[in-house]
Amino acid sequence: MKSIQNTQLRWVRDNLFSSIGSTILTLITGYMVITAYRGTVGFIFSPMRQWPAITYNMQLYMIFNYMEEESWRAWASVGVALILAGITLGYWNKGEKKSFNQIVAGLFKTFSTLSVLVLLSPSETEVMHNDGSREMVQVISSNQRMNFLIPIAVVTLLSFLLSRFSITRAFNKTKVVLFYLSFPVALGWIIKVPTITFDAAGERIEPDLFLPVATTTTIPWTILYVVLWVSFFVGQFLQKKEIKSLKRTIPLSWFVLPLYLFSWLYKKPVVELDKVLMNDIPGVLIFSVIGFLIIQYITDERFSKYRNYLAAGFFATTAAILFLRIPFLFKVLTFSVVLLLLVAPAIANTKEGKRQLLIVWLVVIAVLAFLLRGSGSPTGIITPTGSFLGGFSLTWVLAIFGTYVSFPFGVLLALGRTSSLPLIRIICTGIIEIVRSVPYITWLFFASVMMTVFMPEGVEFNLIIRVLIVTAFFSGAYFAENIRGGLQSISKGQYDAANAIGMNAFQRIFLVVLPQALRAVVPTLVGSVITAFKDSSLVAIIGLFDTLRIATSVVPTQSNPVNFVGTQLDNLLFIALFYWMFCFTFSRRSMKIEKKLGLGER
Amino acid sequence: MKSKPNSKSVIVTKNVKKWFGDFQALDGISMDIKEKEVVVICGPSGSGKSTFIRCLNRLEQHQEGDVFVNGIELTNDLKNIDAVRSEIGMVFQSFNLFPHLTVIQNITLAPIWVRKKTRTEAEEKAMELLERVGIPEQAEKFPGQLSGGQQQRVAIARALAMEPKIMLFDEPTSALDPEMIKEVLDVMKDLAQAGMTMIVVTHEMGFAKEVCDRVIFFDEGKLVEENNPEDFFNNPKSDRTKLFLSQIL
Repeated sequence: MKSIQNTQLRWVRDNLFSSIGSTILTLITGYMVITAYRGTVGFIFSPMRQWPAITYNMQLYMIFNYMEEESWRAWASVGVALILAGITLGYWNKGEKKSFNQIVAGLFKTFSTLSVLVLLSPSETEVMHNDGSREMVQVISSNQRMNFLIPIAVVTLLSFLLSRFSITRAFNKTKVVLFYLSFPVALGWIIKVPTITFDAAGERIEPDLFLPVATTTTIPWTILYVVLWVSFFVGQFLQKKEIKSLKRTIPLSWFVLPLYLFSWLYKKPVVELDKVLMNDIPGVLIFSVIGFLIIQYITDERFSKYRNYLAAGFFATTAAILFLRIPFLFKVLTFSVVLLLLVAPAIANTKEGKRQLLIVWLVVIAVLAFLLRGSGSPTGIITPTGSFLGGFSLTWVLAIFGTYVSFPFGVLLALGRTSSLPLIRIICTGIIEIVRSVPYITWLFFASVMMTVFMPEGVEFNLIIRVLIVTAFFSGAYFAENIRGGLQSISKGQYDAANAIGMNAFQRIFLVVLPQALRAVVPTLVGSVITAFKDSSLVAIIGLFDTLRIATSVVPTQSNPVNFVGTQLDNLLFIALFYWMFCFTFSRRSMKIEKKLGLGER
Repeated sequence: MKSKPNSKSVIVTKNVKKWFGDFQALDGISMDIKEKEVVVICGPSGSGKSTFIRCLNRLEQHQEGDVFVNGIELTNDLKNIDAVRSEIGMVFQSFNLFPHLTVIQNITLAPIWVRKKTRTEAEEKAMELLERVGIPEQAEKFPGQLSGGQQQRVAIARALAMEPKIMLFDEPTSALDPEMIKEVLDVMKDLAQAGMTMIVVTHEMGFAKEVCDRVIFFDEGKLVEENNPEDFFNNPKSDRTKLFLSQIL
């Protein structure tokens, strides 16, 4: 520890006070930073702020006007995601360790910084009243300051003392992170937030009270936290059992998860049984048989000659029935047959390959039928605005669809655009160019106003699904162009090498070309992800209620039961923080991924 | 020390012609390569020697003439191309290792995916090959962390992992520093002595003199001279060969 402190001191000397000039600069910038910090804290804690507008309306921000009695579905959605997250963390745990000393040093750093920040915070700030008069008001009383300072100082001191002992124990890195997550969960039980209360007559009690976080928030979070730990251990158990199949199942589950949450758990579809019996089950059965026949006979001499004609035939059929009044499932599955015909010769060339491909095919069509039934059925969630998604849930769904549903779509478009088959190339280039040359907002209007005109009679998607389709196309086109850039960076030698060791086109693309191409474009891809996340706020234009719209026009117009009119500033600050938090996390993650992939090293 | 070539032909080409646009790269190449034979192809740049060996595993398509590898004719039939490629290993001038995979993954990729071997089986074989080319300690590194000579030896191991009967070398030492050339040539000599059929495009005349059974000289897309190494270097038949040898020796 002593050596660490010495090196830190040396760092300070070398970087901040190396010469007279740099000393002056350090002092000036230091003064500016501290002033800005004190100003910000004063602003945040000023009595003029109406933070209850956020804490009181948190439910609006999260799920908007989702039915109260169904709100467990929102929690369950988070829960299912956390279960999968926990299992993934446990299963893919490499057992990286973090030594006790590192943990303690980290705690010391964080908490000593915090204590300095608390000491530097101002005790009063200037506020301006409506008549233009200015006044200094207290923001943090010495009592409050002590309330913050004492626990922080205790932890600082404790970690400092612990660092004096040389304890050699090390802990699993992931477990340490999970342990840190307990802090916010525990804080939920301890801290008090500004809340609004009413007396018996329904009048707002002034001054506003600080109340503990409601148990309707803390209890679910605590349960979710426990669920995360449990599924982490389940994941570790599966890792010890060496269940190999999970290696492919888990990434696929991550792909299906948002679709499932969106179309079933969160949506609560009202499924009509006769449609399941008349459409879904026959559809799945018919296409199981078609798939089985293709897989069985694809390598047969007499049959394989007609493979390309067959693929073209199914493709033409897809185009032909696109606007016919037949169940959507059949259209999707007809198109899937085209893909199957393209993929099958590469995989179904052995008995084992045939068996595996058949299983994959059956699972894919069953999952497709299940998800399409969910998304095609009317929702059982009745809301005044007619949309079961709103606020954070809407932003999140749009961001997910804007990224990883459109991502594989973008990959396919990029591959298609660089394909040597003219028909595929022209179609893909056409889609990309048409989608990209029209602004996103125009596409949103297209989704809200025009798309129903194009849909065949009887097929009706609700607005959100139409927006999602448009979003998937729009960000898909952008992804495609990014990925195409990556594909072009692959040298011809790589293709030669892959050909020379006997790889077929499919293996060449997915084992050699795409991994390198995607690696080369990770930074731009993350840029697209962040853009898609922020662009989701544009849906406010066509009448959907995303997080930003709730902050700007729902909360500030509320006057019943509590008057929040005119609280725009506070809401916008909260939203800014919210967007920043997620975008910053994305960009940090991407930096880590880039480092892991060794970008710029090779 | 040369292993006697067997009489069985493994590669037969008849009057192979190829054009790049208006430029004729190959002009009627006919050749017969026997099993376990080591053939060196040399000639000035642009003489079509790389194009020719790239036609042997269909990395380039010839437009006229026939190419038979192990009795299989190379046509547009994908099945034949796959069959031929699994018989022929190839080593390139610029190594062309897969930079996103470690050395061992580079070597096991094709055995696992193309030959459908199990991972353990493929890895055992890969370690054996790395042992053979002398760099077993580099197995977990990425190609970018290796020297040129080491990368080329990995590339040889990767080609050998498919257990080919024929190996093509397309200027394997041209991109290397002089002191690394030897380590690659040594590996190639070992291969030749182990009885591999090899076709080597190279300017390393030392290798040609020492190891090969036959030297073939190309110029302007034509096969100018075909000779055993002693006669080729000591009393070449054609004037063009004499001029070439006087320039590089």
